Amino acid sequence: MTHTSDKSSAYSQGITIFVYLAVLTALEFFVAVTIGFVQIMVAVAVVKAALVMYYYMHIYKLNNDNEGEENSYEYKTGTNRLGLWLFLLSDSFVFGALLVVRFNLLGMTRPPLSQTLGLIVTAVLLISSFFMNRAEVAIENGDRKGFKTNIIITLVMGIGFLLGVVGVEWPNAIAEGVWASKNTYGAVFFMMTGMHAFHVLTGIIFLLIVLRNGSRGLYDEKHYPVEAVAVYWHFVDLVWIFFYPALYLIGVLSS
Amino acid sequence: MMKNMNPVWRGLLFLVLFGLVGYALGLGVDFLVVRSLRFSGSVPSLFTLLLGFTAFFFGLFGYRGITRGLVWQVVGTLLGGFFVAGIRAIMGLSAFGDFFFTEPSWVFGAFVGAISFIFGVGAVDDWVKWARGIDTPEEHEEHYHGWEKYFAVSLDHKVIGIQYTVTALLLISIGGLFALIFRTELAQSSLQFLTLDMKLFGQNGPQLYNTLMSLHGMIMIVSILLGVAGIMNYVVPLLLGAQDMAFPRLNAFSFWVAVPASVLLLMSLVLGGFDTGWTAYPPLSARAPVGMQMFFLGVFVAGWSSILGGLNIVATVLRMRAKGMTAFRMPILVWASIATSIISLTATQLIGLSFQLVMFQRLFGMGFFDPAKGGNPVLFQHLFWFYSHPAVYVFVLPGLGVISELLPVFSRKPLFGYKWIAMSSLGIALVGFLVWAHHMFTSGMNEYLRVPFMYSTLLVAIPTGVKFFSWVATLWKGKIETPTPMLFVLGGIVVFLLGGLTGPPNATVSVDLHLHDTYFIVGHFHDTIFGGFVFPFFAALYYWFPKATGRRMNETLGKIHFWLMTPAFFALTLGMMRIGLLGMRRRIVDYDPTMGFDTYHLMLTVMGYLIALSVLIFIYNFFNSINNGEKAEGNIWNSRSPEWQVPSPMPTHNYDQPFEVVGEPYDYGLAGSKYVQFIEKKK
Ligand code: HEM
Ligand SMILES: [Cu+2]
Repeated sequence: MTHTSDKSSAYSQGITIFVYLAVLTALEFFVAVTIGFVQIMVAVAVVKAALVMYYYMHIYKLNNDNEGEENSYEYKTGTNRLGLWLFLLSDSFVFGALLVVRFNLLGMTRPPLSQTLGLIVTAVLLISSFFMNRAEVAIENGDRKGFKTNIIITLVMGIGFLLGVVGVEWPNAIAEGVWASKNTYGAVFFMMTGMHAFHVLTGIIFLLIVLRNGSRGLYDEKHYPVEAVAVYWHFVDLVWIFFYPALYLIGVLSS
Repeated sequence: MMKNMNPVWRGLLFLVLFGLVGYALGLGVDFLVVRSLRFSGSVPSLFTLLLGFTAFFFGLFGYRGITRGLVWQVVGTLLGGFFVAGIRAIMGLSAFGDFFFTEPSWVFGAFVGAISFIFGVGAVDDWVKWARGIDTPEEHEEHYHGWEKYFAVSLDHKVIGIQYTVTALLLISIGGLFALIFRTELAQSSLQFLTLDMKLFGQNGPQLYNTLMSLHGMIMIVSILLGVAGIMNYVVPLLLGAQDMAFPRLNAFSFWVAVPASVLLLMSLVLGGFDTGWTAYPPLSARAPVGMQMFFLGVFVAGWSSILGGLNIVATVLRMRAKGMTAFRMPILVWASIATSIISLTATQLIGLSFQLVMFQRLFGMGFFDPAKGGNPVLFQHLFWFYSHPAVYVFVLPGLGVISELLPVFSRKPLFGYKWIAMSSLGIALVGFLVWAHHMFTSGMNEYLRVPFMYSTLLVAIPTGVKFFSWVATLWKGKIETPTPMLFVLGGIVVFLLGGLTGPPNATVSVDLHLHDTYFIVGHFHDTIFGGFVFPFFAALYYWFPKATGRRMNETLGKIHFWLMTPAFFALTLGMMRIGLLGMRRRIVDYDPTMGFDTYHLMLTVMGYLIALSVLIFIYNFFNSINNGEKAEGNIWNSRSPEWQVPSPMPTHNYDQPFEVVGEPYDYGLAGSKYVQFIEKKK
């Protein structure tokens, strides 16, 4: 628990991790447009995922030995944490399978998509994770106002991502000749982004719920619900860490 | 007069009345769309099914609990259907079709209906409250008492376990009925009553055969999943000394989603059916009637039951064990449940996704499995079997756990090789993830995959063999008692042996090229499933029935059940394998009389009826014993397990005093050894 012992060091840790993630994403993009070395891109994605899981999702908290009464809040929080991670494990099988579908059907080729748009939505989601982390730190330190501000920013970015994908990227892809019923490029693209967008949407609903309840002071003492939403939100980001290169960067452009 | 009626009779009366109303309504609605009266068509049948089914529960239970769920499901389905129909009308597409709604309307409506059920029945009430910032009490009060609590949401794992079990028995009966119907057709070569001229639910005889055969498979699988969940739900928290599952609300949710899922599966029968078998391979499944979509949706929703139930078990076992219950002092059934739950938690997502992809292929023309669009039908089989092979271990591991759990009780000897058995469950589960393509040797997948998958499959025989070794060694020189549960345990061992021995030949590529898609396979997997699930399931029901009711089931009827079912079952599967070796194809409504299979098939059909009869006897015994069974409130099996150290039936919050584990679980016959000790509460 030394990681978040005080607020400002927790904030600055959030910033550091964010910078790492941003730099790694830039590196990934750079590799893709220059040498296109798949192994490097995969390695970068794995490192990014590990950073997110450890520093944003605090996977190590699963190891906290919540000693204490079986009926205490601490013990139950530990059980809830485990439940959430088990759910994410299960969910990741869907996304993993979608990656399998993508590489089975498209192999080392990729659909013609707008690189700029791809980079923008990726950045938006990443930044939203950054603010989510701040919101969580804020509520853990009893800063209800900071929590509110940061959750609202996260929400705006989340909605921005959703609109960006569904409202801009989808029509744009269709204009480029990638539509669902045309061929497997369209099918895979819409399935992957659609499944991901659905998770973003549910995340937005959860954010709205904790925003409302948190503003009314419900989580001042017991802030596990915020932690849970944060972990879920970072998980959705984590999925995109793999989907982004799989859709936009890896492979040669299909003709 | 209605008020004083027996609720069951009132339910049946309502079933008939509203079934007729539904029929008339459906006939009229159908007439409006297609301008002709189709008396045995899909729409009247569907309305009969939905209205009659709902009305039955209305008569039985009033407008609350399950009835409210069903009403909401029907309304939700119709609203969703009309919604899409309206959009289609605005877009200038046909709003209604041959099955009243068009396919997109049915899919959307059915999905909305399933969600509506969950809200209607009240399975998410507490979560909605939490989202609105309202706390709910920890100690859940029961709203209903006696039999009524089984028809509404309850958070008590024991109630949920029984709800699962009874639903499973209901589905087994339905699936079994389907089997009897198509088995009767097979009793003789050429078509007898499922003829080309007949027409029911928009299907001719052979099509109906295919639908019944496919639904038999999937309904049985769902019933197995529910049966397994029932046993695990009821027993695992008791074995652990927990008050309940880790997430009681999620537990209730997991059970209740299975109900709309079952309704969806039944809807697929009347909405044109489908002819793919339970495996639903495209391209056939991409073309089958709209019933296919209901099937996909039903399995998808049932999958969530399995996933979330598995999650709950894992969390419960990891977090809620009694003091002193270290990993290697857990009962074997707990080990088996963990192994099972890991599979259902993870792999189930893949069957869900594969079905979802076909659904989208049909709805939106997405070409995942359509070669004309660059898709790959073999990919479906990979996704499907990545779940469906491990799923067979979901079916059997808990059953094998029950066998290991009960054998020492009735042999009065320690379980041989406890640690090995515990680890073998996990071993089977893990290796089970690496073998899926043995179902695809003939599919045209890459040839180089065949040999590795053959060897990985043969590897499964090792941890399975460990179990057999331990069972035999446990029986060896034991003081064997044979009340009904033990009979089923022994039967299960022998039957599963037969299933296990017929597996490796299928896994051997050269042999499987001949055996694939024959009755040999059908015989093989019925052996594994009966040996690994059905026999142990019955054993578990006979064994834990007194724990739940304070009465025991009738021994004589139990023995009749066993001695009727077992020989009939052997004749059935051995006969299947015999004609399979001679070339009888599976999933086919008719066969050539010159193959000489007529006598065999007649025998198989008769055996099928005998098994059905034995199960009927069981069901009678089960329900009759609830009130009329011989009283059995003590430790009637002389077990060391904690749940038998307290009087039956189990109190609502399980143990009044917590217990501590002080010894090994299966040291039967060792003088002075103790497994658990109750801790005196400080007053
Ligand atoms: C040593 C253990 C086992 C081996 C080596 C084995 C092997 C196989 C193989 C190779 C097939 C595919 C045959 C074909 O379609 O050509 C098969 C089918 C099947 N097995 Fe097993 N099996 C084993 C145990 C089990 C168990 C424990 C179960 C279930 C509880 C089971 C259930 C099934 C089912 C349901 C099928 C048919 C699937 C279908 O509809 O096509 N098997 N088995
Ligand atoms: Cu298999």
